Amino acid sequence: MTPRRQRQLLDAALIPLLAILSGLVLASIFVLLAKNSPLVAYRELFRAGFGCTALARCGFLTTLERATPLIFTGLSAVVAFRSGMFSIGQEGQFVLGAMVAAWLGYAIPLPPVVHPALILVLAMAVGAAYAYVPAVLKVRLNVNEIITTIIFNSIAILFMTYLVNFPLRATRGSTAVTRPIDATAQLPEFLPGSHWGVGFVLAILAVVLVWIYLWRSVTGYEQRMAGQAPGFARYGGIRGGRAAIRGMLVSGALAGAAGAIEVLGVHHQVLQGFSVGLGFDGVLVAILGQVHPVGVLLVSVLFAGIRLGAQIGLQITTNIPRELGGGILALIILFVSARSLYTDLLAWVARVTGRQRAPGKEAA
Amino acid sequence: MIGEILTLAVLRSGIRLATPIALAAIGGALCNRAGVLNFALEGMMLFGAFSAIVGAFWTGNTYLGVLIAAVSGGMIGLVFAFLYLRYRVDLIIMALAINLFIAEMTVYFLRTFFGAFGSWSDPSIRQLPDIAIPGLSRIPVVGTLLNGHNIIVYLSWAAALGAFIVLYRTKFGRHIRAVGENQSAAETVGISVPAVKVFVLVISGALAALGGAFLSVGHLTLFTRDMSNGRGWLGVTAALFGLNHPIFVLFAGLFFGTADAVAVRLQTVTTIPPSLVQFLPNIAAIVALVLVGLSGRLKRGTLRMRTRPPQPLAGAAVAQKEQ
Repeated sequence: MTPRRQRQLLDAALIPLLAILSGLVLASIFVLLAKNSPLVAYRELFRAGFGCTALARCGFLTTLERATPLIFTGLSAVVAFRSGMFSIGQEGQFVLGAMVAAWLGYAIPLPPVVHPALILVLAMAVGAAYAYVPAVLKVRLNVNEIITTIIFNSIAILFMTYLVNFPLRATRGSTAVTRPIDATAQLPEFLPGSHWGVGFVLAILAVVLVWIYLWRSVTGYEQRMAGQAPGFARYGGIRGGRAAIRGMLVSGALAGAAGAIEVLGVHHQVLQGFSVGLGFDGVLVAILGQVHPVGVLLVSVLFAGIRLGAQIGLQITTNIPRELGGGILALIILFVSARSLYTDLLAWVARVTGRQRAPGKEAA
Repeated sequence: MIGEILTLAVLRSGIRLATPIALAAIGGALCNRAGVLNFALEGMMLFGAFSAIVGAFWTGNTYLGVLIAAVSGGMIGLVFAFLYLRYRVDLIIMALAINLFIAEMTVYFLRTFFGAFGSWSDPSIRQLPDIAIPGLSRIPVVGTLLNGHNIIVYLSWAAALGAFIVLYRTKFGRHIRAVGENQSAAETVGISVPAVKVFVLVISGALAALGGAFLSVGHLTLFTRDMSNGRGWLGVTAALFGLNHPIFVLFAGLFFGTADAVAVRLQTVTTIPPSLVQFLPNIAAIVALVLVGLSGRLKRGTLRMRTRPPQPLAGAAVAQKEQ
């Protein structure tokens, strides 16, 4: 490993760590405002989100369960970003994938294994198709993809509201909800007490596959070049537009899978207002995870753990509202995106400790 | 059938429902004109809704609450501009973070200070009064439609007109458009790009917050979790649908508002699914974007803006040098 690579890895790990620390420190002001000790609060939060007292009542396993959709939507964002597409359409693709699973989960009778597998494939196809439109609009007409994906998100959410309230509504009860899916379609769980199960294994598999795709395949290389250095890619004969569309198709498929797995593995049906926000969280996870699959895996667990810890640890054992968890995450993102703050800081630390930086870096 | 749905009452309620969307959209259009994508409108609106009702509660005066909301929305815009210009924080990432922060922390404060759970109100808070404009009520139909709204509704119309005058009839407005169309050219001729960006971000924050105030003390007198409920995002869409022209944007907002009102009405008089009507403005916006894209007239501007997806931080110094 070259010294340059070592320093890159160090920076890649150090900046998010500093951001997490800064986020926790700044959020402790709000804990103090609620007349509580930040140390006690954070101890409870981490114990509930990342601890494990008994195998049947294990907070950490629930954290892994909740990290599962984030890993998928995070990977979805990674593939899009690496292909030069700033897509934030994960929310819409997720919702459509979820609806495919909720509908086909009871509408077609199939044997186990085949049933969820078929649903997963179809959900991925629907997600990819939904990502295709903004991709083509970007490549052919140069319409900004952030804008179109946002509108596509609202359309998908409205469509879900329509489906849940009308064609797929199970009962005339007060809450709009779809019929529960058949047992054959459900993804198995490993242990009682949480929905941690096959979905998580699929997520780990997806992390590995996305890594192989982006860093160990020719198409993935084209993808990254088209995203990172469009001019260089064109010079090398890579068709940037094609790479961008392919990136969006993969991205959409991953987000669609996230929605399907959330239904097949956890909820088994779709309620009105189902999991809105998991798509946006995926974008945040990708950013905090250094736009890298392994980073996404780690940050998803962190995200899910802080949310769960705030929900169970804070709200139940102390009187601090669970919303603190989301607040901490937002602050962490803010600190991470203020990258020059840390590059300034790191440069200063380097100067003080006398560590030599490569020439040319100082000028930047 | 149509007459039963598009009644005057429905249109009036359309105007009311349009107000927060239009206010956010006018601010968003100003930002777009200056080449700044403001995706924090949702959060700014929610914060406006929160600070308006808390302000009205603490001061005992609803108008002061509205003022407090506008000022605090402007402050968020200022913080936004500071982080963007000083620390080069990516505007879109920052917007997503701020939206999340405000959505969570407004509920946090509600629970901590007012002990409220889902929603909060206090009997001492008065709703923003409706204003009857003398003479207007005598005009048939139009009078009924336009008269008797509260001050924020009228302010939204004034904001559209004001933004139009600033953009197209003043030197500063020409500077704003110049920055959006070609930033480096604008810099070369001595236009202060930071001043323009601070201006549009502060104004859009204040306008979006005003829209939020309409929700919490104008339309209702309570604050609920996630009260803006996507209206800020609709504002982003409406701004683009209205091609970032303040007057068109106001009408785009009215289109969204009317669709909402019709959706509510449909639920009571027919069995047509309301969300089908709410599709219309969104589909129309996509069609408009495609048409603008096809016409190829906009060489630059927001629609064609090159947005760089987030990059890994390792080697951030190198990436910054490239920019």
